[in-house]
Amino acid sequence: MKNHLKALRAERGWSQNDLAERLGVSRQTVNAIENERYDPSLPLAFQISRLFGLPLEAIFDASSLV
Amino acid sequence: MKLFSPFPRRYLFELGAAMLVYALVLCSSIFLLKTGYFEGASATLVALLPTLPCIGACWAILRQFRRLDELQLRVQLEALGFAFAGTALLTFSYGFLEGVGWRPLSMFVVWPVMATLWLVGLAVAARRYR
Repeated sequence: MKNHLKALRAERGWSQNDLAERLGVSRQTVNAIENERYDPSLPLAFQISRLFGLPLEAIFDASSLV
Repeated sequence: MKLFSPFPRRYLFELGAAMLVYALVLCSSIFLLKTGYFEGASATLVALLPTLPCIGACWAILRQFRRLDELQLRVQLEALGFAFAGTALLTFSYGFLEGVGWRPLSMFVVWPVMATLWLVGLAVAARRYR
């Protein structure tokens, strides 16, 4: 699924490690989501949404889903 | 703070301790069996003693699994699935070959085969999500 995680993280000046620590996941997981290799679970997606203070639709582009 | 280093210190300590005890119990077990003092059921029990610290190693591994995040669990699941199916394929194939005269192999061969396939599966699965 397409997402704007990389841009949002860059806006805040966070490294992948910083974001991973804030979310309680590994850096590899953040990297995989940013590169659209892995779609996060619903709880993790909501956690990301809460962290950035944005609705899910503003972070993840559901139109890319079938 | 590194939450998800590939080998967290706590895991290395727990697994290392279990393997150290395993090595000590294994040496003791071999030594005791070589004395010839144990026979029959008691020899069986002494031979099985090294499996007790292995339970500790299993506990350490399961604790490590519970520390993994969702993507790491998926990678492990894919790797273990590959190792599980691959080991079945290889061991059953060799079992059939034993039926036509191939040299019987020790049960000790099975786990190294599974571990090797797990490592291959891990490398492939981790690469997929990179």
